Amino acid sequence: MANIQGAGTKQNTYDAIVVGSGISGGWAAKELTEKGLRTLVLERGRNVVHGDYPTAMKDSWEFEGRTRSPAASLARQHKQHRTGYTTSPATAHWFVDDIDNPYSEDKPFDWMRGYHVGGRSLMWGRQSYRFSDLDFEANAKEGIAVDWPIRYADIAPWYDYAERFAGISGNRDGLAQLPDGHFLPPMEMNCLEQHVRDRIKSSFGGRAMIIGRAANLTQPHNGRGNCQFRNRCSRGCPYGAYFSSNAATLPAAQATGNLTLRPFSIVNGLIHDKDKARATGVRVIDAETNEVIEFHAKVIFLCASAVASTFILLNSTSDRFPNGFGNDSGELGHNLMDHHFKVGAAGISDDFSDRYYRGHRPNGIYIPRFRNIDKASTRKDYLRGFGYQGSASRTDWTRGIKELSLFGGKLKADLIAPGPWRFGIGSWGECLPYHANKLYLNKNVRDKWGQPTVTFDCGWKENELAMRKDMKQSAIEMLEAAGLKEVTGFDDVALSNPGNCIHEMGTARMGRDPKTSVLNKWNQVHASPNVFVTDGACMTSNGCVNPSLTYMALTARAADHAVSELKKQKL
Amino acid sequence: MNLAPANADTQLLTRRDAIQRAALLLGVALTPSVLQGVLRAQTPAAGAKPQHLTAAQFETAGAVAERILPRTDTPGAIDVGVPAFIDLMVGKFLTAAERRTFTAGLAEVETKSNAAHRVAFAKLAAAQQDALLKAMAEAAQTKSGTFFHLIKELTILGFFTSEPIAKNVTHYDPIPGRFQGCIPLAEVGNRAWTRN
Repeated sequence: MANIQGAGTKQNTYDAIVVGSGISGGWAAKELTEKGLRTLVLERGRNVVHGDYPTAMKDSWEFEGRTRSPAASLARQHKQHRTGYTTSPATAHWFVDDIDNPYSEDKPFDWMRGYHVGGRSLMWGRQSYRFSDLDFEANAKEGIAVDWPIRYADIAPWYDYAERFAGISGNRDGLAQLPDGHFLPPMEMNCLEQHVRDRIKSSFGGRAMIIGRAANLTQPHNGRGNCQFRNRCSRGCPYGAYFSSNAATLPAAQATGNLTLRPFSIVNGLIHDKDKARATGVRVIDAETNEVIEFHAKVIFLCASAVASTFILLNSTSDRFPNGFGNDSGELGHNLMDHHFKVGAAGISDDFSDRYYRGHRPNGIYIPRFRNIDKASTRKDYLRGFGYQGSASRTDWTRGIKELSLFGGKLKADLIAPGPWRFGIGSWGECLPYHANKLYLNKNVRDKWGQPTVTFDCGWKENELAMRKDMKQSAIEMLEAAGLKEVTGFDDVALSNPGNCIHEMGTARMGRDPKTSVLNKWNQVHASPNVFVTDGACMTSNGCVNPSLTYMALTARAADHAVSELKKQKL
Repeated sequence: MNLAPANADTQLLTRRDAIQRAALLLGVALTPSVLQGVLRAQTPAAGAKPQHLTAAQFETAGAVAERILPRTDTPGAIDVGVPAFIDLMVGKFLTAAERRTFTAGLAEVETKSNAAHRVAFAKLAAAQQDALLKAMAEAAQTKSGTFFHLIKELTILGFFTSEPIAKNVTHYDPIPGRFQGCIPLAEVGNRAWTRN
């Protein structure tokens, strides 16, 4: 670390700078260092070394409030609390303090952040699906927003590459709308899930319900241990059994000897050189000392998360870029997307009362998109589609809380035994990219370091709301057809503000035309090709599948391009 | 290198063994402070003095909890420290509004007990206690967030997440090592898995 604290430009110069150490930043660090670039990774939060997971081995009684967090700490995480799970005592330390890290909302937006090495790769949901040409072609076919500058064939080899390193368990299901990948052995469905799968298939013309494809290792992989079926993933896994930057990409980058990781480094903006017509470095605020330091490099990867990378670009103004770095199009900060969810159905089953399962599977089932995938499935009431995630399980003692009138020895005996089987599914829906859905800099509200903050102005529109009706109705139909009892639909749209799904995307989109997009087909800023943005900000549309695998593939692809351009001395 | 643990010994592992095995799989030793942190139990001892409730409130809350989950062939709420857990929840975890509801509810229990029987709730016979609680539960049925909702939730939560119950009564298997989707219930003895 000592060699980079000096004020001299030479000491603070690297071949590449990566901003952020989450899923995208970890991949950028691995790829760039493995290709021989001396790389500086800047992370705004504290360091977390793999294994430094304080709650990973704790049992319920070892948390002071068991499953509850104290009122005083919830008050400091009042926005992080909006998911209902991020602030539990097992994971609250991975989420930011909302008082120290404020943002503003013209409309409600739930911005969940993890400021530490590894970022949200430590707490992510691990569901890993490929986009297909259904996704990459949709904007062009429908005349929505702008066309993606890539197609499935451009990214497919990079999905292969990312999956092989990360380790994705799953089944090859042969579905056009959800391309197969290089999978480790799939996890099993339980008794009721198998039954429901068969009934959905026979009742809806072959409709697929598959085991989730998850970045959890079902066998040892690349020196990491296999899943122990504890389902405590988001606390951090001591076995390294799910993909995180801390367990996978950062150790790989470290092993090259080319990595310098600098925690507590808040990137305040890019430094633009008018004569060279490109960025020459970044301006950093040391989060602990408030010292401002400049670092320089030939190549800069912004991987700070969709919102944070966009913030850095918007906050980097110059004569050349008065409205934010690379913002010739005026699209920077716009087209903000997330998946809308918390809509679906649940029911119970009287079958399999003499059956159970063993182990806590950190994965569920997936019902891939079945609407608007061909002529027969085309809807008149909305564009795009949705998938369902869910699972079956036998209910546990928590069922006893609701039944007020039951108490005594019989209640206790009943709650010690497994309860009835329950099957539930919730839907993740695509959101269209709307110019009006945006974030912008707020210079009136400043953070602890005197920086401007972000204001969100984003909401679901007609297409999403029409889709939700079908998301609920189709869930009810499938569960009833599967023979479940007491099937109840739900649509908690009030609990599904944009941001709540933690899939923010689109605010520095890729496109073919610099006049209407921020990034080109290699994730390079059109107007400064040595700056790459490979996190969720780059997404031109958001599909309906979980996006992290796509960020991994796009990042590896962009890093390969960056090094090849460097070799040609084009950067 | 095969990192898979032998499944046969999984259930025989002690907690310290489990932690040490995790450390082994990491390839690095956990630091002593981390190890101490994960080993430090925070279960309040049964019969502990209240820190937040008055002695009388503590006794009433404990008596109500014990009727919700009484001692049978398995331990009851008082045996596993639920009163101390409730005391802690009231002091540090409930919101101010919940705390007011809770202490007012305890007072109501005593008022009803005294009106009907002229003794404190904790001194009533079990059948008298049950009758009084049943009436309160019925009155709460159409509402939400009442005293009865709170004490039922806190009792069940405190009971099933306590070490004696989570380890020895429900089926404790913190590191299963494998997943089997469909097994005979008889194999695990009609006991639910402990929440992990």
